[in-house]
Amino acid sequence: MSTLGLPIPYSRWRRTVQQYAGLVLNVFPPFIYLLLFFYAPMALLFVMSFWKSGYMELEPAFTLENYRAFLSNPTYRRIMWNTFVTVTGVMALLVVVGYPIAYFLARMVRRYDALLIYLLIIPVEINYLIRIYAWKIVLGRSGIINAALMYLGLIDEPLRFLLYSRTAVMIVLIHEWLPYVVIPVYVALKGVPQEIVEAARDLGAGRWDVFRYIYLPLSLPGLFASFILVYIPMLGEFAIPSIVGGPSGYMLGNVIESQFLAAGNWGLGSAIGFLLLFITLVLVAIVIKVTGLEELM
Amino acid sequence: MTIREGLQHGKENGLAVEHLVKRFGPLVAVDDVSFSVAPGEFFSLLGPSGSGKTTTLRIIGGLTVPDEGEVYLGGERITYWPPEKRDVNIVFQNYALFPHLTVFENVAFGPRRRGWPERKIREEVTRFLKMVHLEGYEGKYPRQLSGGEKQRVALIRALIMHPKVLLLDEPLGALDLKIRQELQLELIRIQEEVGITFIYVTHDQGEALTMADRIAVMNRGKILQIGDPKTIYEQPVNRFVAHFIGNTNFFEGQVVKVEGGMALVDVPGLAQIWGVPVGEVRAGLPASVSVRPEKMYISRHPPKGGSFNVLQGIVEDMIYTGVSTEFIVRLPTGQQVRVFAQNISKDAEIWKITWDEKVWVYWRPDRSLVFVE
Ligand SMILES: Nc1ncnc2c1ncn2[C@@H]1O[C@H](COP(=O)(O)OP(=O)(O)OP(=O)(O)O)[C@@H](O)[C@H]1O
Ligand SMILES: [Mg+2]
Repeated sequence: MSTLGLPIPYSRWRRTVQQYAGLVLNVFPPFIYLLLFFYAPMALLFVMSFWKSGYMELEPAFTLENYRAFLSNPTYRRIMWNTFVTVTGVMALLVVVGYPIAYFLARMVRRYDALLIYLLIIPVEINYLIRIYAWKIVLGRSGIINAALMYLGLIDEPLRFLLYSRTAVMIVLIHEWLPYVVIPVYVALKGVPQEIVEAARDLGAGRWDVFRYIYLPLSLPGLFASFILVYIPMLGEFAIPSIVGGPSGYMLGNVIESQFLAAGNWGLGSAIGFLLLFITLVLVAIVIKVTGLEELM
Repeated sequence: MTIREGLQHGKENGLAVEHLVKRFGPLVAVDDVSFSVAPGEFFSLLGPSGSGKTTTLRIIGGLTVPDEGEVYLGGERITYWPPEKRDVNIVFQNYALFPHLTVFENVAFGPRRRGWPERKIREEVTRFLKMVHLEGYEGKYPRQLSGGEKQRVALIRALIMHPKVLLLDEPLGALDLKIRQELQLELIRIQEEVGITFIYVTHDQGEALTMADRIAVMNRGKILQIGDPKTIYEQPVNRFVAHFIGNTNFFEGQVVKVEGGMALVDVPGLAQIWGVPVGEVRAGLPASVSVRPEKMYISRHPPKGGSFNVLQGIVEDMIYTGVSTEFIVRLPTGQQVRVFAQNISKDAEIWKITWDEKVWVYWRPDRSLVFVE
């Protein structure tokens, strides 16, 4: 008991205040920051998506007109479909290419895996736009690939589908996002305790069984992190398609961008954005259900 | 049976390891280790931390390849077989349960790799869960279990495979005393029930003494002694074993003479003490005399007749433990000795002993051992 007869001993009271102050000081600034610069604009855009909107005009109201305008437009629908197909395809390719790299780095390289990971990251440190323009040089009509193929006599004239096409968008997207697939999976695989692997071997699991029943399930959270980290931003991508995509590589991101910048129709732009967000969230939920990830998290 | 015959027998029927050596850089973690274990035997590897117990176990389990030596199981040389091919299973030092699988799936992991029919798996898993009192735990994940429960799952996950030999690496090391003792009894019961050979690694000498049929004492990668608990306790082959197993008083001195199968050691400032020589004891060599606390008498009077080693001292402390009383006696040299006296009757002479009293401590010469090293 406190000698002063206070209901709470001073030392405890002081500790409580300190804890509280610590909490406020630590959590508040980032929270305010997020609120001001992230959630508030998001909310505003969300509200705007229900306003009456046209070229350079915006009028508070509650209407689903923007959503209807988007969904009833066959061109938009086609672009949306193309976007999902492209991005899903790229995601699948990223997993096919990235998973083995991550596995190799995490479980087969003895000493220099950290260095190799760094090599993988280096390109990311070059400016985003410069990297995309660099691909133009590689993929273009007289680009490195075409020049090499012609020199070798494998083709007579430059391959046209290499640049300004969906193929180009996919190639550049894969290059752009590969590290973000490799690293989370690498971390997950690296974290599998050696003892568990040994226990599995001891209980009769051969190398393939160990992969199938230990590494694969235990790396799913990493794969899921990659998915969140990569799939969702890819859906909104507009720089890559606008630089290397040409008309056939046009993506939903370009539509949104043009609604905000060229068409000045913020309401429609917001509506498309939120539709995209909604579809993505549904997709994420499906992925969690299908892979049974709740159990692992 | 000689060691050679024993090895031959182990090679043909049970498990045998011969001249195992494992080096990690300059460190020799396992240094020329040989022993054999008969089918159905409860064999314990006992030694302090870092003595090479786990490494030896891993070599038998196939998780570590030895630099030299061979492993035989049921007449076959299995030194280089991969772990999944060996009829041997391990219970790991810290369980190593699969975190993403339920208790049922953990236990069923081995049987599934062996391709047992699903019905048999269900029956067997249920039977083994029952054996360790874990009915109803099928759907739980390892993170939802207590230490003792995890330990039991790890145990039956290996047992269900019916290996020829089960390797247990300090399976009770992380548990508190009460659960430990409970599981010790359970382990002995299970071992008798399933009749599988156990190799049980521990650094707890009490555990080894109570559980094992035979014990191998290890230190710095070498096996110092193999024998049944009684032999290890009563006839340790060197100072380390005597010190590591049970409680012991040591007196350091020099051998005066060896005669009639006994050695006389001069302990400077104290006395000359007789004991049974162990190994190459010769006059002039430095030696330790070891005598266990329960083999000594304590009294307020000097012994009447008989041949005894006798020391005099002052009672410094008395610890009553119910079954016995432990006396701490300070000798003139300042050394302390521990003496256990059984609490036979409450008017016995020893009850009159009090603190700071002058007492005699004595024991029969054949109860002390003389080691030279
Ligand atoms: N993979 C390894 N690399 C290098 N040194 C090792 C390795 N494994 C074991 N050692 C060393 O070998 C020695 C024996 O280790 P081991 O694990 O067999 O001891 P232990 O008797 O099981 O000890 P504890 O009772 O602490 O478990 C130790 O000094 C240890 O540091
Ligand atoms: Mg160990």
